[in-house]
Parts: sequence; C-alpha cells; structure tokens
Amino acid sequence: MVQIVVSSAGAGGLAEWVLMELQGEIEARYSTGLAGNLLGDLHYTTEGIPVLIVGHHILYGKIIHLEKPFAVLVKHTPGEQDCDELGGESGTRYLVTALIKNKILFKTRPKPIITNVPKKV
Amino acid sequence: MKRTRDEVDATLQIAKLNTAELLPTVHCLGFGPGASAAAGDFCLLQLEPALCQQLEAGCSLVIRGDKDEQAVLCSKDKTYDLKIADTSNMLLFLPGCKTPDQLKMEETHCNIIHTEIFGFSNNYWELRRCRPKLKKLKKLLMENTYEGPDSQREKDSNHSQYTTEDLLDQIQASEEEIMAQLQVLNACEIGGYWRILEFDYEMKLLNHVTQLVDSESWSFSKVPLNTCLQELGPLEPEEMIEHCLNCYGKKYTDEGEVYFELSADKICRATAQMLLQNAVKFNLAEFQEVWQQSVPEGMVTRLDQLKGLALVDRHSRPEIIFLLKVDELPEDTQERFNSLFSLREKWTEEDIAPYIQDLCGEKQTIGSLLTKYSRSSMQNGVKVYNSRRPIS
Repeated sequence: MVQIVVSSAGAGGLAEWVLMELQGEIEARYSTGLAGNLLGDLHYTTEGIPVLIVGHHILYGKIIHLEKPFAVLVKHTPGEQDCDELGGESGTRYLVTALIKNKILFKTRPKPIITNVPKKV
Repeated sequence: MKRTRDEVDATLQIAKLNTAELLPTVHCLGFGPGASAAAGDFCLLQLEPALCQQLEAGCSLVIRGDKDEQAVLCSKDKTYDLKIADTSNMLLFLPGCKTPDQLKMEETHCNIIHTEIFGFSNNYWELRRCRPKLKKLKKLLMENTYEGPDSQREKDSNHSQYTTEDLLDQIQASEEEIMAQLQVLNACEIGGYWRILEFDYEMKLLNHVTQLVDSESWSFSKVPLNTCLQELGPLEPEEMIEHCLNCYGKKYTDEGEVYFELSADKICRATAQMLLQNAVKFNLAEFQEVWQQSVPEGMVTRLDQLKGLALVDRHSRPEIIFLLKVDELPEDTQERFNSLFSLREKWTEEDIAPYIQDLCGEKQTIGSLLTKYSRSSMQNGVKVYNSRRPIS
C-alpha cells in the first residue's frame, strides 16, 4: 500500500489565495502558450462587485465566501534534490501551499465592449 | 511587460466604466511561468472547516491505498473517501489577490496589484467522510495470534508481526481509528508488536482471574491489581494478567491502590463465545442453562449481552442459538446485506441491528440503511425486512 503525505507548513507558512471561476476554456492565442500573457484587469465596484475586463468583454461577478475552503496542493516527486531530515529519500509528497477561502464567480454572459461607434452624419 | 496605471485607465475609459464607482485598486491578471504546467503537479483539495483548521495548525494528512483500492485520505482521527469532482467551469488560482472587504480594511490603497495566475484546473479533490477500512486489521493480526510466552510460535521468529508503523502502512484508516479498533480487539503490544490473543489463551487468563476473585471472595467491582499480580504471576506473565484485567474491567485508584471493576457483560459474553464456538448450533434452553452455570457466581447472563456475537432462531423447534460474529461478515454494505439475507430471509429490526450498526456513516441511522438496502413487510403483526433483490 502507498502512503502519500500531504504536509502543511502551518498558519505561518500558508498563504491565502483567491479562486476565480470562469465559464468556458482558456486558450492561448499563439502557440507560445499562456505563460507570461495577460488575462485582464480585475476591478471591484464600491459595492464590492467584481468586474473583469478580458479582451473585448466585461464580466460582472460576485464574491462568494466558501463554506468548504480549498487547499492548493503542489506535488513533489522523489528524484528531486531534497531528502527528508532522516536522510532517507521521500516518496511522492504533496505540500499544502495555500488555502482558498473565497472565490470570485463569473457566470453571467460577458458584455462586449464596443470601441467603434459610428458617428452620426 | 507589466501594465501601467495609464493603460488600465485607458481600458476603463473604452469600457465606459465610471472610476468613481470602482475601488481604487486594480488587479492586473497575467499567467505565471508555471501556468501551463502539466496537470497533476498541483491540485485543489476541498476541505471541511475542521480539516482546514488542522492544516492551519500545521498537521499533516495522509493518502493511503493500494493500487487496486479506492484511495482514502486520513487525518489524525478520521478517514475520508477521495474522489475527483469535475466542474464545467475553469478554476484559476490567484495568489496575492485581495477581496473587496480586505481592500477596504487597508489603510493605504495601492493602485495596481500585479497578480500572477499560479495555475488553473477544471476539477478538484472531494472528500467524503467514510468508515475506516478496519477489517484488514484483524486479518493481519490473526496471522500470528499470541498463545503465551512458552508457545512454540514465539520461539519461531518466522511469523508476521506488525508494529504501529507497519499497521499504518497497511490499513486504510487514521491512526486514532486504528488504535480504537486495537482496543476493541483486545490486542496487546508485546515487544513492540501488536498481537491478538488466541481465544483459548485469553480465556485461560480470564479464568485465572475469576477463580482468584472467587477464592478470595472479592467483589467483582474491587479487584486489587497487586494481589492479582502476586498470586497469578507464577502462572502467567504479569503484563498478560494486567492486560486481561484491562480488557475485562475498568481501572481505578482508591486510596493509592489500583483496582479493577470487572464487567459482567464482557465476561458473560466471552463465556458464551467459548461455549458456542464448539458446535454449529445449540438448543437455546439448554445453552442458557449451561451458560448461566459457567459464568462466575453472582453474574447474571442475559441474551442481549450477545448482540453481534450470536443469533437466536425463535422459529425453529426447538429454539436454537448459534455463533454469528459481526466482524466475520463482509465489510462492504451491499455485500453485508447480501450475506445476512442469505442466512435468513426475513429479519426483524431488533435482530438485524447489531449486524449493521457498524455500517452507519456519519449521519446515517439503522433506519435509513434498512430503507436503502432492504424491503419491509408485515409478518404476524411484526415488521420484517428482506432483500430488495433475489439472493441466489
């Protein structure tokens, strides 16, 4: 049987992240992939409503406090430099890197931004 | 190339958004270097609040399972089924992103937060509390039962033995659940290994104790440890005598002396097992007589002491009783019901309850289990339960 440890650094070492939930898929426009590319600007109204501008679209969403928070687990496989303190080689482990207690949900239809409004003659 | 405030404002203008209605801070979201990383290098684990607190306290969790088993996740004291839940939406992880409430609480408002998306996923790990898979524990420990220090087995070092660590390596359960079950099994840690006593040996120890209680005319509720060790020490190892007292009694101190309050229920139950294991079935009336005579004087036998150990058949003539141990039945819920219904077609709730009690999940009751896995009908004015489908 396999035992895979999911270890946590404790409150001092755990960051708090936010989850953003979008409908659809994300694709890179160019074959160079997503890394380094911008997604968009995230604003909040004074009432606390998230507003996301992605390309030609505006999305309005809401902040949801999660009843069941998430942990972000990052996998560490053996063969990496670190051996554990006992000098033995550790098997696959997951490290809890962050906790997520809030998510920003966008589920309404995006509104297009019209940049070229024909002038009235 | 990071976006500037001017660029952000220009976009807002094109989008015809009124900056007066927005908080001053904008998060410019971009994809970090690891964002396209292979799936499986990171994942989301959904937590119940208690688990989240444990992680915040620095506790670890462990995933346990064989290749052919459904994986479980264990905290210090609970076991959860681990399943992957798919979502049709995209979940992006935003480090350093602040919520409006957090921003409002800040004294100084920065203008731009450049947020690097760590990664994204369209599934997450879901946990559901489940029963620990403890049947394997007894199976492993029965490979090499303890028959006493002089037994041939102990001299032969070839047999399988398990330490606590070995058990954690083999059983899909949390450490506390394993420890609790070891106690239920009357297991004993001998030389660092967990051992189950061979039943006859366990009875031998018990008989030494009850005979001593009788000859000393002690009360069952005040059995002195030291005298037991003194008198019985020459016959059996002191640790085994004390282990027996712990299994069949409750320890307490009175005026600096250690005593045990023996449990009549446990002793009567063990005595019944000793009698019943020697035959397939017994005439109920005869059994009850022999049983009462076999228990220490002063203890009263009652059939309800045998729940989960023996079953009475009141429809046969004469009425009979036979050994049926719940821990020898299948662990899987459907298989358990199948085997119970193969044994007997119709059960009353009273009869079946001890044999399905351990199947109840966190919020399940016997009633809800019966509703799900059986069909009820009335027989002679009594509600009985039978299988939902034909049992071969």
